[in-house]
Amino acid sequence: MTKRGGLLVLTVATALVLSGSAWAGGDAVRGKARAQMCEGCHGITDYRTAYPQVYPVPKIGNQEPAYIVKALQDYKTGARKHPSMRGIAATLSDQDMADLAAYYAGEPRK
Amino acid sequence: MPTEPKQRALAPVLTLALVLCASPICATQAVASDDAGKKKADEACAACHGAEGNKPITPETPRLGGQEYGYLVQALNDYRKGTRDNPVMSAMAKPLTEKEIRELAGYFSRQQGLTTKR
Repeated sequence: MTKRGGLLVLTVATALVLSGSAWAGGDAVRGKARAQMCEGCHGITDYRTAYPQVYPVPKIGNQEPAYIVKALQDYKTGARKHPSMRGIAATLSDQDMADLAAYYAGEPRK
Repeated sequence: MPTEPKQRALAPVLTLALVLCASPICATQAVASDDAGKKKADEACAACHGAEGNKPITPETPRLGGQEYGYLVQALNDYRKGTRDNPVMSAMAKPLTEKEIRELAGYFSRQQGLTTKR
């Protein structure tokens, strides 16, 4: 293998490892920046949805990260129906979802 | 103010309600329903959501400990009615009575775990 070829392989491998870890864990710092859109409802104790039914929004601090990603994916695909959450999830990429999940999940479960 | 007489009329009723709720009768009922909620939770929910709803067995299973009471009631009713769809949860929620749903939601909402993060 040429020196240049070796460098290319190394670069690609590094990029794969980095992107892989970012997906698996998400980036809590990026998630925090993205969480502004969540805080208006999920950041207020006992905040209630007003439409289509009135009930308290769920607490999401300490929630399982994979569950948060699944919930957001389900809103995006329409499998879960809440109108506000569907609107918000539609704007999120897979990476955004992983980042938000990492931010809300907090410390990993022992 | 036009509402004043109504408020005055309500005062004794509210006082009575407070006195009754502070009495041992009310306290006993609260404990009893918490026991019922815990019993049902240990039997039906803990296998997947873990003890006190805080140790889910798969990554995509949510924590329930500390969750909002009203949200849990809503979620269980949505599963029961089919407006929220999950094969396992739909099957679990179908046979629940409204009383059992309130007891389970009460039990999980009183545990530690989830927080309102800001």
